[in-house]
Amino acid sequence: MAATQNTRTPLERIEYAIIISTLLLMVVVTVQPLLNLLAISLSDPAKLPGMSGMEILPRGLSFDVWSLLLNHPNVRAGMLNSIFITAAGTVLNIVFTALMAWGLSRPGLPGRRILFLLVLVTIVFDPGIIPDYFINKRLGLLDSYWSVILFKAVNAWYLIILIRFFEEIPQELLDAADLDGANPFQVFWFVVLPLAKPALATITLFYIVFHWNEFFRAMIYITDQNKWPLQVVLRQFVIGGDKLAIVGVDAANNHTGASQIDLRALKAGMIILTIVPILVIYPLILKFFTKGTMSGALKG
Amino acid sequence: MVAQSKQSNLAAIRGNVPKAESDQHAGFLARGIRQWWPYYAMMAPGIIFFVLFHYLPIWESKIAFEQLRIIPPNLWVGLKHFQLLFASPVFWQVLLNTLIISGMKMAFVFPVPIIVALMLNEVRSGSLRKFIQSAVYLPHFLSWVVIAGVFIAALSPSDGVVNDITGMFGAAPKSFMTDTGAIRWVLVYSEMWRSAGWDSLLYLAAIIAIDQALYDAAEMDGANRWQKIWHVTIPGIVPTIATLFILNAGIFLSADLNQVINFTNDVVRTQIDIVDTYVYRIGLQTGEYSLATAAGLFKAVLGMVLILMAHLFSKRLTGKGVW
Repeated sequence: MAATQNTRTPLERIEYAIIISTLLLMVVVTVQPLLNLLAISLSDPAKLPGMSGMEILPRGLSFDVWSLLLNHPNVRAGMLNSIFITAAGTVLNIVFTALMAWGLSRPGLPGRRILFLLVLVTIVFDPGIIPDYFINKRLGLLDSYWSVILFKAVNAWYLIILIRFFEEIPQELLDAADLDGANPFQVFWFVVLPLAKPALATITLFYIVFHWNEFFRAMIYITDQNKWPLQVVLRQFVIGGDKLAIVGVDAANNHTGASQIDLRALKAGMIILTIVPILVIYPLILKFFTKGTMSGALKG
Repeated sequence: MVAQSKQSNLAAIRGNVPKAESDQHAGFLARGIRQWWPYYAMMAPGIIFFVLFHYLPIWESKIAFEQLRIIPPNLWVGLKHFQLLFASPVFWQVLLNTLIISGMKMAFVFPVPIIVALMLNEVRSGSLRKFIQSAVYLPHFLSWVVIAGVFIAALSPSDGVVNDITGMFGAAPKSFMTDTGAIRWVLVYSEMWRSAGWDSLLYLAAIIAIDQALYDAAEMDGANRWQKIWHVTIPGIVPTIATLFILNAGIFLSADLNQVINFTNDVVRTQIDIVDTYVYRIGLQTGEYSLATAAGLFKAVLGMVLILMAHLFSKRLTGKGVW
């Protein structure tokens, strides 16, 4: 296509300009609402009334909202719960998924085809939330972190991606390790895992995002508010409109503390706060996901 | 002995059991176990997980055919709950809502990432393309709670960006989130906001994989930009389109519970009450477990039929299914 660059007609130039402006408009539409919320959360509360949804720069500068949120017991508990659920969940995900994928990727494994089929069935047939609820109830997981941590402990799609990846590992490497006297566990640990680092990194990021964003299971399975992850706290406050969740009953009655801060700014800050961990790992996501999706994931 | 076990290790990793060796001795099973138990040991946690959290629930959904009793055993009632379900106008309404919302998304959201990918592919500056990509992929990684929060703010009648802009053209402020005529479009648009960018990556990957020689040949034949897109690019990404179409067909009856449950409110509920929110409400909130499970099973079976049909259809059409 480089050859055509010099011979572009005026029409082609106009077409190109339209394409670029459309894409840039898409960028604005995507990012502007987030920047607006950030600006609102950082604005001077006195200047907030009348601030338009179009503005992306804070009016004045104040960290009241952020210091309040970061010191708020519910928000802090939510952050810790989310971090714990995400960390424990992801570790479990990776261990379970990688081990299972390695076994299923061995061509001679007895029962390989039937196991693979049984995994596919779970993608196609999902009996829904009620039987899932009863299983969690029976296993005594209700109101425990484990109901959320164990949910999708092995994601069938990622399992298939990893199986495909393991199948590609050159046989010579495995043979060499075997001749050195390594048992299957050692082969997996010392040969397979190091080779699978890029694939594992991609899937780890998938799992982290999944756990951090999960709210539905936590909402229905965890009744103890002290165990709620951040998403559920956010939901109760912003979607449920339960301002007492953050402001607190005493503060609301006495017009002290959080009740003096604009509710709109509090909500905006809360939304941005929930996104921050995603933003932190986003550069990694861009690096690994884009590569991972390009190679194996499609023919899943 | 050591040498022998080493050899069988090798065979296990290679995946082929040496035939002569296994025939020689009667202990075929014993040999198989000795060879493969480490792999089954490694797979055990995953297998147990699938049994507990995927297959036990399938077994558990038999309560759709039972009358729950406080003291077991439950009473078998056959299709009673399904008959109740099909006789309920509310169920048909939520089914219709689901189909309408999924249909709208299929018509208005599904094609967008294809167009975005085609446009991104035309961007000549690598750094500009990367910049655009990094921005438009982001919403895919945000939760529906966050996205609903963003939309509630952006659509606010008093200080939301949308009404601020329409206001500049003299339109009266509108409360989209509580407008029964607008709320389905809010679902469509927020879905587009979330996924149009990221989904384009799959198409872009397919476009990049197209053999450059095809473009060169088209150019030799004097094809312009549009002809190249139509005759080279589009045919090159048809398998990807087919794959994503099947995946969409599979979730056609879902219409995204996580999205709806965050965008819904008392005013617009009748418009966007879908099968999954119905199951959640009558099951976990009202406690009609059997009826809710029946609705869930109905959806699961129909969804399975849909995805298998789409799979076969796509295989006939493009020679490619999903798995």
